[in-house]
Amino acid sequence: MPEERKTFGQRIREYFPISRRDSLLTVGILVLATAVCTPLRLAGTTPGFAFPVFVLATLLISRLTDGYFHGIVAAILGVICVNFAFTYPFLAFDFTIDGYPLTFLTLLTVSIFTSALTTKMKKWESLRAEAEKERMRSNLLRSISHDIRTPLTSIIGSASAILDNPDLPKEQQREMLENVREEGQWLIRVVENLLSITRMGGETELVKDEEVAEEILGFAARAFRKRFPGIAITVRAPEELLMVPMDPILIGQVLNNLLENAVIHGRTTTAVRLSVTREGENARFSVADNGQGIPKDVLPRLFDGTLKHNETTKGDGKRNMGLGLSVCRAIVRAHGGHLNARNLEQGAEFCFTLPLTKEESA
Amino acid sequence: MNIREKVLIVEDEKGISQFIAAALSSRGYEAIQAHTGAEALTIISSHCPDLVILDLGLPDMDGLSILEQLRAWSSLPVVVVSARSHEKDKVTALDLGADDYLTKPFGTDELLARVRAAIRHTRTASGNSEIAREGTYTVGELTIDYNKHQALIRGENAKLTLNEFRIVALLGKYAGKVLTYDFIIRELWGPQASSNNQILRVNMANIRRKIEKNPAEPEYFFTEVGVGYRLAEGN
Repeated sequence: MPEERKTFGQRIREYFPISRRDSLLTVGILVLATAVCTPLRLAGTTPGFAFPVFVLATLLISRLTDGYFHGIVAAILGVICVNFAFTYPFLAFDFTIDGYPLTFLTLLTVSIFTSALTTKMKKWESLRAEAEKERMRSNLLRSISHDIRTPLTSIIGSASAILDNPDLPKEQQREMLENVREEGQWLIRVVENLLSITRMGGETELVKDEEVAEEILGFAARAFRKRFPGIAITVRAPEELLMVPMDPILIGQVLNNLLENAVIHGRTTTAVRLSVTREGENARFSVADNGQGIPKDVLPRLFDGTLKHNETTKGDGKRNMGLGLSVCRAIVRAHGGHLNARNLEQGAEFCFTLPLTKEESA
Repeated sequence: MNIREKVLIVEDEKGISQFIAAALSSRGYEAIQAHTGAEALTIISSHCPDLVILDLGLPDMDGLSILEQLRAWSSLPVVVVSARSHEKDKVTALDLGADDYLTKPFGTDELLARVRAAIRHTRTASGNSEIAREGTYTVGELTIDYNKHQALIRGENAKLTLNEFRIVALLGKYAGKVLTYDFIIRELWGPQASSNNQILRVNMANIRRKIEKNPAEPEYFFTEVGVGYRLAEGN
């Protein structure tokens, strides 16, 4: 049946993939093996040295390439090489030498076994990575469901209370409505983080453009002023023009999250400092606050998204820092940078690096 | 008595349409609501609103195609509203002739500010292009002098290069409006110019260093990330 033939073809391609890189590697290792054997032969060493060298070469090739194809080719070429160049009569084929079939079989077996092991190992690795991803995703989903359910309960509850009790004092109604607005804004932030994840998600590469670092800072600072008009913010960028390859929306989201955390989790924060500096081949972005700092027991687990709700803030469990921070870390990592946190004498500092490319001049 | 400005709200979600209408009425605008694209086009030609707030996700047609149809015969100010948060959508809407862009969710204050700016802008638009040839534009402590081809900051010449001044002049002509990178490049360097905005970025950084107190916290030249630049609106 055509369908079965198709799957057979697919299977062939799966087990015997041919790639340029692997072919080059195969040829390279075989040439190297020949190069090792040639001076030995010319020096008149006893024959028999060539065989182990080619066994090693076949082993390496089977281990380093995908599938079975290159290993088997290496085994065949190896036998031919050994026979032709390194066993008497030199530079001539003689398939009648004693033990010749054994040589061939040994090389072939080495190749097939190693390839099989390699293939299995690779499959296992990709399965493990997949499982890891899956676990992260379900952690994330669980954390989000938590994050969403609490404010929704509060919104629905407040709205129903006001609708069902028209005689509630004005003051109380107002308080509840403000609460509804507050919770709605919290939900928006959760959704923005989710959008960031989908923007990054999948196999597609990040779209990075050279962005002017100070523009991103200015943008984040403006959003922050709007949201927290009562908190002082200072912004510092170097005099030199820092062009940083990045997805500006995602890095903006990282800064927004860090700034918001500085206020909400700093608890006593009255001022934040947002800055960017050049550090060798990296741009270093920093968000520092003068709040309470990060509790010592929380610090090591800050970024892995495993924080439970009540661990980050005592009492007010809903403001979970976990989601925002794991999104930040994922974004920074996808850019090839690092995110760190530390406590200052007063308050906390979160900083991340982004690699710079070579500088552009006008 | 003042003639109240008419604002047409094109939005299929009743909740959102109602809240926008309530916010506008409380500020003295006359709000008309349309829930489909077809309805919107009829109302625009029969009622002649002063401004349209246009949602891009309508049930019967794409908001962008309404914008295109409208721009074929009218320069009526349009503020686009959308839940699409990707900056490419903003650029598309702006390049199709939208005057401004609001991304859901937005607050009442933000909405009213954009509406005010868009209406004021059409009022002064003709005046502005006059200014662009001669006269001055002032916002805060910044004055753009179109006669002398220079920008003054706190009364002193900022010593802009020719290219820098041309960028400032263009932003001044459309003060308060986001100009996309592509629009600025096309206006200044012609349609054949490469769409690489690197040179524009570097020029803008230099402009900020000459004019802003802190280039990382601009008071005049704002960046709309991934979209373009906007010059603060004067009084």
